[in-house]
Amino acid sequence: MIYPLKIQILEKTPFSLKLYIEDISLHVLNSIRRAILAETPTMAIDYVIFVENSSAFYDEYVAHRLALIPLKSDDAILRYKSPEECAEAGERRLFSADCFAKFDLTAEGPEEGEVTVYSRDLVPSDMYVTPVYDNIPIIKLIRGQRIKLEAFARLGRGKEHAKWSPVSIAAHKYVPVIVISYDDCNNCLKCVNSCPRGILTISNNKVVVNEDKLLECSFCKICENVCSTSAIKVLHRENSYILNLEFTGALNPKTTLIIASEILIKKLEEFETKLKELGVLD
Amino acid sequence: MLFPVRCFTCGAVIGHLWEKYLERVQRGEHPAKVLDELGVKRYCCRRMFLSHIEVAREVLQFPKIS
Repeated sequence: MIYPLKIQILEKTPFSLKLYIEDISLHVLNSIRRAILAETPTMAIDYVIFVENSSAFYDEYVAHRLALIPLKSDDAILRYKSPEECAEAGERRLFSADCFAKFDLTAEGPEEGEVTVYSRDLVPSDMYVTPVYDNIPIIKLIRGQRIKLEAFARLGRGKEHAKWSPVSIAAHKYVPVIVISYDDCNNCLKCVNSCPRGILTISNNKVVVNEDKLLECSFCKICENVCSTSAIKVLHRENSYILNLEFTGALNPKTTLIIASEILIKKLEEFETKLKELGVLD
Repeated sequence: MLFPVRCFTCGAVIGHLWEKYLERVQRGEHPAKVLDELGVKRYCCRRMFLSHIEVAREVLQFPKIS
């Protein structure tokens, strides 16, 4: 690999990040991507104790909906015990405060009509671990229906269950390079009309690539296929990739990237120590 | 049943957008425009909205058997 890496931010919002990375090998980028997706811990509800549920919905259905609600975890990852320790504590039904954040939910159907119970109705025991969105509907209740439950959230990793993943999308793609050979082009304009992303345009009676839209190319190669003279070729740049991340809101983008890199570095260090122990390295 | 909290395919959180979507579509806006403005980009998430039927409305009226 060539250092330093060249990184360009293509898109940055509180819930998404798109990076253009040059001079990085695919396996390194993929390790980072997978560390973000599967190894970075976040908080999510893992155990639900139903005291009363006379609603029309099964306990499992409600528990599943609760689990999928992303919880703010930026502060929690530093204070709560590791996912592995807490998974074990959960198995033994020991809901200690250093592993689990508790939520209470009590609701009753109204005399008239129906009521929707939202994620904001969850009463947290830890003021820093709260739902990211406060208007996710959990259940609906009508007259005579009651629900009372205690939910316990713990740290976990995306590889155990996707509810713990801090990202919903973590993908990398190649950087497209569209080469047009004007000696072979017969100006039939089939490629311009066939491109589903509208990347090709006409300028001075010639087919040209719209540079602003180039990165949207999905490598479908329809333009290559419709070209009768093989004048257009869709290639990709070596060792350059676009990393696209979309966050659930459980962790902010900065924390996610830092924690993921730390985990990756720790894993490599462990690997090195192990090799030294075995005498493979000296 | 109720509108899912997350997209079945990609796992993006969409549960909080349903009521805004429903309200605007019932007012007569075009679903495609509403979804664009709510930031629902991928077709996996969009079909969650377009194909959802609130069965829960009716299920709610039945007593629970357990």
